[in-house]
This record gives sequence, C-alpha cells and structure tokens, in this order.
Amino acid sequence: MKNGVEAFFVRLLRVAVVVIGIAGTLSGCSTHAKRLALPRTLFYEGQLESCREHLDKLQKGNRHDRDVANLDLAVVDLLEGQTQQAETRLKEVRDRFDYLEQESMTEKTVSMWTDDSVRSYAGEDYEKILIRVYLALANLMGGGGDAESYTLQIQEKHEAIMQRLWGDAENASTEEASNHTQSGVPSLKIQPAAATATRYRGLPLGFYMRGMLREETHQHYDDALRSYTRASELLPDCMPLRWDISRVQSSVHSQPGCGVIYVFAMVGRGPYKVETVERPTSDALLIADRIVSAVGPYQLPPTIAPIKVPDVVIPPSDINTVGVRVDGQLIGPTASLADIEELAVSTFRADRNRIVARAVARRVIKKATVAAAKQGMSSDGLTSLGMDVAGIAWEATESADTRCWGLLPRDIQVLRVETQSGIRSVQLSPCLSGIPVGPSRKIDIPVTDGRNTYVICWFPDARSPGQVLCSQGIVAPANAR
Amino acid sequence: MRRREWLTGFSVVSLASLLGCRGYQYGHIVKPQSENLVGSHKGGAEVFDPLVDEAVAKLLARQHQGDCPVGPDGQPIKKSICFVGIENKMVEDIGDFKDQLYEQIDSKILESDAFQSISRRMVDAALFETRLRPDSLFIPDNQALFASVLQRQGIPIDYLLYARLTSGTTVRNSSSQRDYLLTLELTNIHTGFADKQSSEIRKGYHKTAMGKVWNYNPFTR
Repeated sequence: MKNGVEAFFVRLLRVAVVVIGIAGTLSGCSTHAKRLALPRTLFYEGQLESCREHLDKLQKGNRHDRDVANLDLAVVDLLEGQTQQAETRLKEVRDRFDYLEQESMTEKTVSMWTDDSVRSYAGEDYEKILIRVYLALANLMGGGGDAESYTLQIQEKHEAIMQRLWGDAENASTEEASNHTQSGVPSLKIQPAAATATRYRGLPLGFYMRGMLREETHQHYDDALRSYTRASELLPDCMPLRWDISRVQSSVHSQPGCGVIYVFAMVGRGPYKVETVERPTSDALLIADRIVSAVGPYQLPPTIAPIKVPDVVIPPSDINTVGVRVDGQLIGPTASLADIEELAVSTFRADRNRIVARAVARRVIKKATVAAAKQGMSSDGLTSLGMDVAGIAWEATESADTRCWGLLPRDIQVLRVETQSGIRSVQLSPCLSGIPVGPSRKIDIPVTDGRNTYVICWFPDARSPGQVLCSQGIVAPANAR
Repeated sequence: MRRREWLTGFSVVSLASLLGCRGYQYGHIVKPQSENLVGSHKGGAEVFDPLVDEAVAKLLARQHQGDCPVGPDGQPIKKSICFVGIENKMVEDIGDFKDQLYEQIDSKILESDAFQSISRRMVDAALFETRLRPDSLFIPDNQALFASVLQRQGIPIDYLLYARLTSGTTVRNSSSQRDYLLTLELTNIHTGFADKQSSEIRKGYHKTAMGKVWNYNPFTR
C-alpha cells in the first residue's frame, strides 16, 4: 500500500515537472520588447493607423500585454485627436493598476515556477502619475470638464507613493516646504538620511498642471502658488517655474484682451525595456551548483541557460527642445517638466537588485524541483542525464519581464505664452541646443480672452514627422514648413 | 511520511495563495448621524465642517442684531454679500475641500433671513472682466471697479466676504498638535467697516496609538 502511494506521488512529481516545463516554454517564447518593436517603429515613422492595428492585435492577443498595449493605444488615440477614446483607455488602465497594487501570492508562486512575465504588470510609480497627467491632457484637449479632478488625482497619487516610499519623512519635508511657501520663498525638500538617490521623487509636471488650471480661474492664485512651488521644489533650476511663482504672487493670469497658450511638447524617443543576460550572476550560480553537486547528495542541473533580466534602453536623441514662435516672433524653447528618461533609469536601478534576486530564487527552486524528482525516481545515469537536460530546457525558457509604457516620449516640456486674443499662428520647430534641426510645423489656433489654449506636439527626432494637436476640439492642420 | 510532507506542503501553498488573493474595494453610505472619519495625516470633514458651522453662524447672528432696513411692503430688505473666496494659508493642501467649503459657506448665507448671496458665477465673471485678484479687492479703487461691474449687471453689493484658513503646528517629539483657524472677514463697502469672526479646532497627530494618551493626560503636564 505504501509503495503504491509512493509510486503515485513519484508519477505526480514527474507529470508536474513536464507540465511546468511546457508551461514555462510557452510563457517564455517572446518578450514584450520584441512584440512592441514593430509598432514602435511604425509610430515613430508617423504611420499611426498601422501602429494602431499592431497594438490592437497585441492587446487582444496577449492577456499579460493588455494594459501596456492599452497605454500605447491611448497615446496613438491622443495624437490622432480621439481624446475621448484615449481618456477611456487611460481610465481603464488607471483603475487596473490601482487594483494590481495589491500583491497576489498565487501569481508570485506561479512566477517562481515560470518567470516574471506571468505576473500582472502593475506599472512603475512614474507611469502611474503619467497616466493621470495624460488623462488631464486628453481631457483638456476635449474640453476640460474633468481636468481639474485629474490634477487632484495626480496630487493624491503622488502623496500616496511618497508616503509608501519615504514614510512620514516626506510629509515632514512637505510641511517644511509649505512653511517656506507661506513666506513666498520656494524651498528644497529635506530628504531622509537613509534615502537612496535612486528612488522616485515625484513628477513636477502634475503640480504644474494643477497650478496652470487653478490660475486660469482668476481666483485661486493661492492654490496656483502652492502647486508651482511644489513643482519648483522638484526642479529648483527651472527658471520658467520661478516666473510662474512670481506671476501668481503679484500679478494676474493675463492682461485684459489677452489669453494664454500652453505648448506641451513630447520630445524625443522614450525609454523602453529590453532583455539582457545577467552574466556575473549566471556564472556565480553555475559555480555554486557545481560545488553543491560535487559535495552534496544531489546532482543539480548545471546553470547553462543564462539568467535574463530586463534593462532600460534610452534611444539616442538628436533634439532636446522645441522652439516656439507666435505670429513670427520667437518666444523661446520649451522647458522640461518631466524627464522620463531619468525617471525610468532611476526607477529601474532602484528595483534591479530585487529582480535579480527573484531570478536567482527561481533558479534555486527549479533546480531543487529537478533534484527532488530525480531522488524520488531513484533514477539511473541515463534518466538523470535526461532530467538534467529537461531542467536546463526549463530554465532556458525563462524570459525577462520587459513590459513598460513603450510610447512615452523622452521628455515632456512646456512653454507658456501670453498673447493677444484672436487667431494666432504658432510655429513649432524641433531644436538641438536652441538651433532648429528639423522641419517646423505651423498651425493657427484661436486664443480666447482670459483663457488657456493648449497645444500638444510630438517630435520624436529631427527626421520623423511631428504631430500637433490643439485644444477646443480643433485638430490642427499641421502644415510642414 | 512522504505523503504527509506533500499534503502539508500543498496545504501551506494553498493557504498562502488564498491569503494573498487580490481583494475588491467596497463602499457604503455614511448615515447623517454618524461621526466623520478623523484624518490621520491631514484635516478633513471632521475639522472643516464644524469650523464653517460655527464661524458663519456667529458672524451672521452678530450682523442680524443690528438695524435691518424694511421695504415698502414691510418685509426686511436683505443685504447682499459678495463672497469673494477662500484663501488657504495652511501648511496642508486642502485639495477638493476648497470648492466644497465655498459652497457650504455660500449655502449658509443663503439660508439667512437678513442676507442674500451673489451668485458665484457672477463673482467669477466680474473678477474675470476686471482682471483683479481676489486679495486686491480691499483696495478702495479696485473695490469700486469691481462693484461697478456687478452694479452694471443690476447686482448691487453691500458686503464683501473673504474667508481664510490658517494653521499653527506645535511639535512634541513624535506627536504634533495642529490648530486650524477659519477666519471670515465681512467688509461693508459703503462704510468701509469690517467685522471678523474666527473659529478654531485643535487636532493631535501621533505616530503611535498611545500618543494621544501619553500627550493629552493631566499627569504628563
């Protein structure tokens, strides 16, 4: 009877190894980075329709890619002027990422037998803030009824993330900063002593947008001052933010007969993740498993398949600002308010050790499973060799989790221009160190007395055709000059 | 033996999986008689609601005690108040509370027998047209310009009402006390005289559950 039960469990273990091996093989066929390569290329070539088709397929075809593909589709929607559709997609992902902030033990356990790509992607901290920024932008482009709520959500999310990352030290520093705000002097935040420089510190753009909308009310200048000051604390060297602070302290939104144009420039190609081999860790693990196999009671499969981890790639950029002219008069370059490149790299660096540790733990679990199966089956030399090969194959099926919001720009920049109300001609040129390096786009936009008008432009590089979109429901003609 | 180990392992994994499942979010309606939540990091409804109730009631009651002009029909003529806005000078952001506080104060003025409030949209439009900052309306020339714009639309004003939220923080090791003060300033634009009413709520913040007991008992002082 006992032998019968043992035989049953040995068979069960064998089946488990085979099933897990097949599941691992299936899960590790390709990475998100490879699946996104073509849509990215099409996007940067300006073929938005083809890009949308591929992203649609990706979104419907792969459950684990659904959310990030939805984010990329929202960017395409926004640039095509389908602002409501973009808003719907972004809201869906926002709610899902909020839900996925809760850990799932089931997914964690399964990922230890397969790889990280089977886990639901809950988004990086900066992506969660950017979703709300894009929601506000999409809403402003379509009329702006909910934009103020979205800016409040940006603030709320920022505070929740800071509370999680920095604890009460963040609150203390914020209060310290606000105390200085009362006297009208922007102050730098005091960071906790144990803080590493790599942790997410916040996105000034969200605060800037809140200030921008509060200022437009012509009434809540105190809120605008508070928001601009928070943004300035995160970007102390940004001169336009100081001008904004000075304006809301003593002046008004705009002079009678004038309105304001806000140019939001998406500059450069944004960061994305690719799969790389963690060579030192792989070599160390190979030596370790050889030592254990030589001196211990178990024969472990050797670490021939390297450990794969994601890495952030920043594509080279040949532009760094967008030059703005209004009615032929040079206004100046846009100023960076969301350095996504820096955010992506610092966030990844902060998380990298945890990713590698998880990959090592996964390998240990897999090797232990194969060793246990071999011991249970009392396998001879040939069977043992076969199981080692199966174990190596199982390990080789792992792939790195390269999911990310892939169609973000490298930098989001802003320029504020106060100008006479009426139809104004705005010319946007991609620039490198202040010198135009690519074809300009010229659009005519209506500026309303005392109100904001928003322009979104996208210049991925000097060669690619830029995209321009303007608020008040008008998709700009975007003539190349 | 092995079966027992397997069963134990399986049970532990299953239990861990069940415990680690993602949950959903739920909501419920808070009954009117129920107490407000007390914010753990910032002031919320538990602070602002009583501040508004007390300050507005006291200010209007004091104003109501004065002589009230009577119209030809024998009915008292209501004085019109232009509620300019709320200025947040506190250390905390009040986020979405600001507009709600405005509406609460505005509604309470409307409930009064002696006063009537000017529509917020009209106030916004007048500020927009004059391009005046709300805090600059206490300069006589600006006040006259602002009043003239409203009067042109057939809305005479008698009073300007301005609200301001301030805070003061006292820190004692890991605990702190924050005093929230709402000040309402009512200025008669005909005479230039101002009336003022404040209400205050003090709130303690602690890092531990025992912080309140430790800091607010008569034996530690």
